[in-house]
Amino acid sequence: MKSFITLFKIQLKLEIREKGILLNYYVVPLLFYLVVGAVFAGINPEMKSHLAAIMIIFGITMGGILGIPIPIVTMKEQGVFRAFSVNGISKGIAILAHTLSAFIHILIVSLVIYFTSPIIFKSDIPENIFAFFIVLLLLIFTSASIGTLIGLVAKGQSSSIMLSQIIFLPSLLLSGIMFPSSMLPSLLIKISQILPATQAMKAFLGLAYNHQAVSNGVSSMIILFLIGIFAFFANIILLNQNKTL
Amino acid sequence: MDNIVVSINSLVKKYDNFLAVNELSFKINKGEIYGLLGPNGAGKTTTLECIEGIKHPDAGEIEIAGYDPQKDKKFVREMLGVQLQSSSLPQKILVDEAVKLFCTWHKTGYRSDLVSDFGLEDLLKKQYGNLSTGQQRRLHLALALIHNPEVIILDEPTAGLDAPGRAQLHKQIRELKKRGVTVLLATHDMAEAECLCDRISIIIRGKNAVSGTPSEVIKAGRIKTRIAIRTANGCINKDCIINNAEYLKSDDFYSFWECSNIAIGIESLIHKVKQNNDRLIDLKIEPPSLEESFLELVNNGENK
Repeated sequence: MKSFITLFKIQLKLEIREKGILLNYYVVPLLFYLVVGAVFAGINPEMKSHLAAIMIIFGITMGGILGIPIPIVTMKEQGVFRAFSVNGISKGIAILAHTLSAFIHILIVSLVIYFTSPIIFKSDIPENIFAFFIVLLLLIFTSASIGTLIGLVAKGQSSSIMLSQIIFLPSLLLSGIMFPSSMLPSLLIKISQILPATQAMKAFLGLAYNHQAVSNGVSSMIILFLIGIFAFFANIILLNQNKTL
Repeated sequence: MDNIVVSINSLVKKYDNFLAVNELSFKINKGEIYGLLGPNGAGKTTTLECIEGIKHPDAGEIEIAGYDPQKDKKFVREMLGVQLQSSSLPQKILVDEAVKLFCTWHKTGYRSDLVSDFGLEDLLKKQYGNLSTGQQRRLHLALALIHNPEVIILDEPTAGLDAPGRAQLHKQIRELKKRGVTVLLATHDMAEAECLCDRISIIIRGKNAVSGTPSEVIKAGRIKTRIAIRTANGCINKDCIINNAEYLKSDDFYSFWECSNIAIGIESLIHKVKQNNDRLIDLKIEPPSLEESFLELVNNGENK
């Protein structure tokens, strides 16, 4: 355990030193929050009420889906896993340390948004704070698992970026964080149901903000959990195959 | 034999239809520096990766001090120190952090002795990505030794290093031998193998083409010793018939000959000089190098 804690601490420091990673975890989500938050607060009072949830979904999806795979692919390409592996640090442990440290960074950004949005944009505080944080943690888990999966299956940086964008862009456009899902054609609404961001949005609205008309939230939370678990076990299977070292 | 620390017996490793290692066998004695030589793609790195337990062999047996790298991973990891060619540390990790991390992972205290042995004291606060190739190699070697392994595997340790860097690393490898560490060195630098290794195996297309001490391997080849001779009147030329020596070429000063038996060849040449009332000015003997024997083997292997 002491060894893992040392690795985890070093991993946290490495990510703080890496400008590209900081960009995905902190700079872009917080800039997006400030700029788009100001726009939303001005033009759409309905969205303003649950602005924290919208911006947190964006931050988590960006950090998890775009931020997590890049260092994994870099470590794979540079032979870091090999250097670790021959010294007893398995690839799974190295990835766990990376994903956990990403989890911390993403959680910090989420908390910043949660605590500042009622002050800056006068957004509503969730009616059920406990449910809000359960959904938040579940979304981080699912996004981090998917991000890790992308990092493991991607052959290089370009394929990693492509795979990330295949999930990230639809999450941005179809999940209801930019505009209400009800405005989308029915086919796109159906497609959007497989996106963690869509389910997270529905779960936040239904469980934390009590917008029961939109969703009761429970089924969305279950789907979100199932997506996360599926990605998590896919990661374990890939790591056990040991073919990607 | 108790003295054998690494034993490879009929090792086979395939990648789809490509046979990377083909029935390879060799044994390494305790405290030996053993060289694994071969052209690119010969199967050296794959062999090392099977020994390290990173890759599963398709057939054959590997034993490190009696342990199987696949079944007894924990024991083998304690026995082995590994410096891989295609490995790296995270670019932003500090040298100090890397040493701390690997020390913690191997459950040893901080190895400041290694830090000073490998001249890393002034680099502790430097990031790995800002180190020179030589500094990175020294760090990797130090990290591989953190748990005092009995066997150390070095894959192309001096590739990309300048002459002083190579000399420094060679000195450190010899130091390891003095401390009783067994070294398995994969290289395609023949001069390095010739000066460092006690025994070598030359691998061609995954097979052991020849093995022995560097001088045994050189003798096993068909390359002969060359003699360059210079006389006052240039009596030794292509028209001379010299016992046990074959004429090769001449330049403005020297005449070059090739001998299978160097003593008889020299004696015959000097006799010829005296016979012609000429005077010997210079005589140089150039024994065949490991590189020449290696090239001969590689060319023969490719022509097969």
